[in-house]
Order: sequence, then C-alpha cells, then structure tokens
Amino acid sequence: MSTMDPAVAAMHEVAGNDATPTKTPDAGAAAALETEVDGKPLDLSTESAEERRVRFERDAMQYVDQLYSAAMRMARNPSDAEDLVQEAYTKAFSAFHQYKPGTNLKAWLYRILTNTYINLYRKRQREPLQSNSDTIEDWQLARAESHTSSGLRSAEAEALDHLPDSDVKRALQSIPEEFRLAVYFADVEGFAYKEISDIMNTPIGTVMSRLHRGRKMLRDMLADYAAELGFRAATESGAAADSNKQENRK
Amino acid sequence: MSDCQGLGDCDDARMQRIYEYLDGALTRDDIAEIKDHLDSCPECLEQYDLECVIRVMVKRSCTEAAPENLKNSILDRIHSIRTVEA
Repeated sequence: MSTMDPAVAAMHEVAGNDATPTKTPDAGAAAALETEVDGKPLDLSTESAEERRVRFERDAMQYVDQLYSAAMRMARNPSDAEDLVQEAYTKAFSAFHQYKPGTNLKAWLYRILTNTYINLYRKRQREPLQSNSDTIEDWQLARAESHTSSGLRSAEAEALDHLPDSDVKRALQSIPEEFRLAVYFADVEGFAYKEISDIMNTPIGTVMSRLHRGRKMLRDMLADYAAELGFRAATESGAAADSNKQENRK
Repeated sequence: MSDCQGLGDCDDARMQRIYEYLDGALTRDDIAEIKDHLDSCPECLEQYDLECVIRVMVKRSCTEAAPENLKNSILDRIHSIRTVEA
C-alpha cells in the first residue's frame, strides 16, 4: 500500500505532465546524471524498491539545506521547519516512482514542500488548478545578464545594504505568505515564473503580480528599517550637537 | 533627464519591466531594449541597482543550513518505510 495521499498524487500527475525543462547548464548536467545509474541508463520498469531508495538518496537528499531554508520562510520556527522538511521528504520518497527523471527535481521537491505546508499547517482549501500552458510557449526565456551598473550606488541602496540579516528576514516574514514565498522562490532559488507557477499551483500571471507586489512591500519595509537605523545613528552622533544648540537657545 | 518612454509612462510598468529583466523572463530583443534604456536613464538604473541590492540581501539572509540531525532523521524515516514494488 502506498503512503501517498491523494493531494500529493494529484500534484505529481501535474508535475509529471508538465515536465519543466531544466535550463541552466548545471541543472542540465544533473538531469543527465539522474537518468543514469552506475553509468547505465536508468530503467524505471525494472528498478527495485531498494534501487529506488538509493537513487532517491543520491539525487534528492542534496537539497535538504535549500528546502530547510524555504521551510523557515513558511513555518514560524526552526522546529516546525524541520518537521515540515521531514514530512515533505517522506512524501517525496513515497511518490518518487512518479517523478520523471531528467525533469526538474528541485522544483518537484519544492512543490511537495509547499503542498505539505499547506496541508499540514494551513489546512486551507486549495484553489482549483488553473492551467496556463497555452501561454508558456511564448515565453522565450533567457537569463538576464548582469547589467553594467553606474558603479555609483544611490544613498538608498547604500543604506539598505547595511541592514543586518535579521532585519531582512523580519521584513520578509512580515509580508503576506503568498507574496513572501513568490519572492523567495524567485530571488533566492532563481526559479523561473513557470516553475514558481508549478510550485505554487497558480497561473503565471498571478506569480508575476505576487512578485511585483511582494517586492514593493519588501522594499518599503526595508526602507523603513534603514531609515530607523539611520535615524538612530544620527540621533546618537547628533546628541552632543543638539545639546549645544539647546544651550545656545537659552 | 529621461522621461522613461522606452519602458512605459507609469512607474509600475517600468518596475515590472525591471523585475522581468532581473528574473530572466524577457526575450532577447526585450533584453537589448532594456539594456539600452538603462544606459540612458539614470532613474531606471537607480531602481535597477536597488533591486539588485535587495535581491542579494534576501539571498544572503535566507540561506540557512539545516540542523545536523535533520538529514539523518529523514534517512531514518525513509529506511523505515516499506515501499511497494511499482
């Protein structure tokens, strides 16, 4: 008997059909390796349970740190994040025979993580799946090359860059979940819109608007923190000057 | 001073374009267009720089190592699961 629940089963079907192609050279090489075992082409029809477990450990376990980082953006504390990752891995293992080798394994795992989070912690009804596959072909994806910047960073950029990591996490944590996760998937993991739409089970247009709004919220929040930080610094260094001024006024 | 006609008049459209550029979601033609624009528009370049800074900050702040025991707990669980032959 399989331990997989129907929600996971449904999502695997979708992930399998979509077969998101991997784009980066590294991911491409990893995908090629996934389809081999000990130098021989992988044959799913003859693979034993034990062989599958070995293959799962070889291919999927390398993402534990990354999934944990993402789980920390979902759950509110390290202990819940650990539970979440463990549960997601257990589900992924149970459903691993449905994963199509050579497709994007990391995105597949993230999708299970996201669903596990929603099922375990949120218990909310998922929206019906809306397929956007017609428009996907139009997206001729090309990675942005880094643009030669002015070399001179604005005062605002400079101020933001001085914020401690804890402030960045706090800012991210304070924006609503669907925006937070979209921003996380794009900025930290570098997933393409199509991949995020698979992971979050939402149309690409929704992903884009979540990213747009989420980034704005994040930026405003960070600007506030930076202003506070600057204000505190200014108050401290300006304290002596202020008392002088007050003296003069008397 | 640029009036940002290349990227649309409103700020939202302009930012959307910058996000798409950073997200690698533009076509090659669009990329060439926005690069040209960034070279000639200090306002957009500043926004672009700011977004780059935030992206780096988020990535840096949110990259965490899982606790040592987590990997082992997962492996223990996986080993204890009796799988069915497909």
